[in-house]
Amino acid sequence: MNSKMLESKENIENIDDDVVLRLDDLSISFGGLKAVDSLTFDIKEKEIFGLIGPNGAGKTTAFNCITQFYKPDRGSVYFRTNKGEVENLVGKKPHEIIKKGLVRTFQNVELIKELTVLQNVLVGSHIEFKASLLSQILRLPKARKEEIRLRKKAEEVLEYMGLHTIKDQLVAGQPYGVLKKIELARTLMCNPRLIILDEPAAGLNDSETFALIRIVRGIRDRYNCSILLVEHDMRFVTDLCDRICAISFGKLIFVGTPQEIQANEQVQVAYLGKGDE
Amino acid sequence: MDKKKTERMAKPKRKAGNPYINYIVFGLIMLMLPILVEKEVIKYSYLTIVAGILIYSIVSLGLNFLIGYSGLVSLGTAGFMGLGAYLSAYLTINLKLPFEISLIISVAIPMVLGILTGLVSLRIEGYYLAIATLVISEILRKAFGEFTAVTNGFSGKSAGFPKLLNGKVLDRNSTYILIVVVLVIVIMITHNLINSYTGRALSTMRGSEAAAQAMGINIYRYRLLAFAVAVAFAALAGVLYVHFIKFSHPNTWTLLLSLNILAVIIIGGVRSIPGTILGAFIVFGIPDLVLKNLPVIGKIDGIPYIFTGVLIIVVILFYPAGLIHIWFNLKRAIFSLRKKGGNDSE
Ligand SMILES: Nc1ncnc2c1ncn2[C@@H]1O[C@H](COP(=O)(O)OP(=O)(O)OP(=O)(O)O)[C@@H](O)[C@H]1O
Ligand SMILES: [Mg+2]
Repeated sequence: MNSKMLESKENIENIDDDVVLRLDDLSISFGGLKAVDSLTFDIKEKEIFGLIGPNGAGKTTAFNCITQFYKPDRGSVYFRTNKGEVENLVGKKPHEIIKKGLVRTFQNVELIKELTVLQNVLVGSHIEFKASLLSQILRLPKARKEEIRLRKKAEEVLEYMGLHTIKDQLVAGQPYGVLKKIELARTLMCNPRLIILDEPAAGLNDSETFALIRIVRGIRDRYNCSILLVEHDMRFVTDLCDRICAISFGKLIFVGTPQEIQANEQVQVAYLGKGDE
Repeated sequence: MDKKKTERMAKPKRKAGNPYINYIVFGLIMLMLPILVEKEVIKYSYLTIVAGILIYSIVSLGLNFLIGYSGLVSLGTAGFMGLGAYLSAYLTINLKLPFEISLIISVAIPMVLGILTGLVSLRIEGYYLAIATLVISEILRKAFGEFTAVTNGFSGKSAGFPKLLNGKVLDRNSTYILIVVVLVIVIMITHNLINSYTGRALSTMRGSEAAAQAMGINIYRYRLLAFAVAVAFAALAGVLYVHFIKFSHPNTWTLLLSLNILAVIIIGGVRSIPGTILGAFIVFGIPDLVLKNLPVIGKIDGIPYIFTGVLIIVVILFYPAGLIHIWFNLKRAIFSLRKKGGNDSE
């Protein structure tokens, strides 16, 4: 135990200042299936990092291991928190992760249908709310001011995402592409250091996908954060990402720039080549 | 054209104006009742029935908060309400404590028990949780019958109208006024809670546990909170009950009462404050105020249960969101008609 802690400390000290997230030997299996297998890579400050791989490659599972929705069998998730210190996230509770500065979206959109678009986005700033229960019950000035301040912030985020015209509509009944955008908007409410997006372009048409590239870049610059994303649309990924990691059957195949990925033979076989079959 | 624009702009403002006004107006209307009884416009016994409805509105608001916002189900409402009633009867009669102190203690103790129940909810869900709360409620009911030193067993426990800290004793009318005031306060508390970040956190937890966790919402904490609120409202209602009816019997606090309170929410409208009040008037009012006075139907045994049962089925089939939505739809229809009329004249 002690030596393991020491080792972990040593690992943390070895992490360069510009690294936001380091996966080290991350592994999880379900029954006999190794969904994520010894995955290791770094994501740097202000980097837009793509994770690609065929269906069932383990991309979403990797996200779930990073955000502690799944407990990895092995390995570490080192993350540089909002305070600038590196921590291993493994063993933390899922609801503690966002406070460290790491926020995510879901492949199958997790929004609350009965709430309006604005209310859904406001949930993203849950950790920013500080008013006590009593001051909420009595609607004391402190609670009211806080609500007004964060509501304004939510409106700004919605404006930026081009969703302000529907802010008071219910989420129920919105088209899929809009839902994906609302979920992205929700991640912007918590001053994140790293945003994890699971297929953000799903349900968007060509011009909307093109617009999303600019939005995501804008988010990176405006919020000074890194972005880790999964997306099947190869043009989107190669246009947007600084670096890409390709995985297959839970295993890393190759990490590199979009050009390197496109030129890599193994990646071609495992993933890109699939279209030619 | 310009006029229309300003009109449209003005509307949401008015809506956001003051939500409390409706609740206060409702309270004021309810406060007219004792006057109408004095003027003999309304029967003396009707005041008791309406007071009962208002008391059950308080419990129902708590259960609606629990079910509608946190998504957890409880069948133990009656037990906690009874606990509040017995505690306050004992504290005021046997220990001679003033009403205010007794009220605080009689709400606090069930609340602690409610939080312990909430701890159970962290382990189990759905039907199992409903059954667990039912078991707790039945244990309480057994205790009401057995702990004769405190509860007076099956002879029933008597209590008096509230005796305040300053020695003043309320009469029937002023106790009724107290009930109305407490209900309006409870409505406002509920309104504030569901419109705060706590309300959104609960909604998120119900809609998607994954989203809740990802946004930093501690699910355990909010489940306990929802339980504590529901139980506090139930115990509070129990206290008011025992000091207005001036009597508590173990057989009052049965599963049947818990189911009736559940019916209030289903019939009135989940997640709706006016819906809850409407539901309480229907479930606890119509049988006594209307059905009993009808010629043939009034004579049928168990007519309230038949009425509630049939109504639940009808509501679930045709108005799954509750009868309050008839009113909302009506309002919308009138509004759109008026708008159309305005367009035609232009
Ligand atoms: N909770 C779970 N229990 C059992 N098996 C799981 C679980 N979650 C994922 N898996 C399995 O792990 C493998 C990887 O799934 P994952 O969802 O991570 O793939 P993915 O790369 O996100 O695919 P897609 O592109 O289709 O979203 C699949 O075989 C899946 O069936
Ligand atoms: Mg996936």
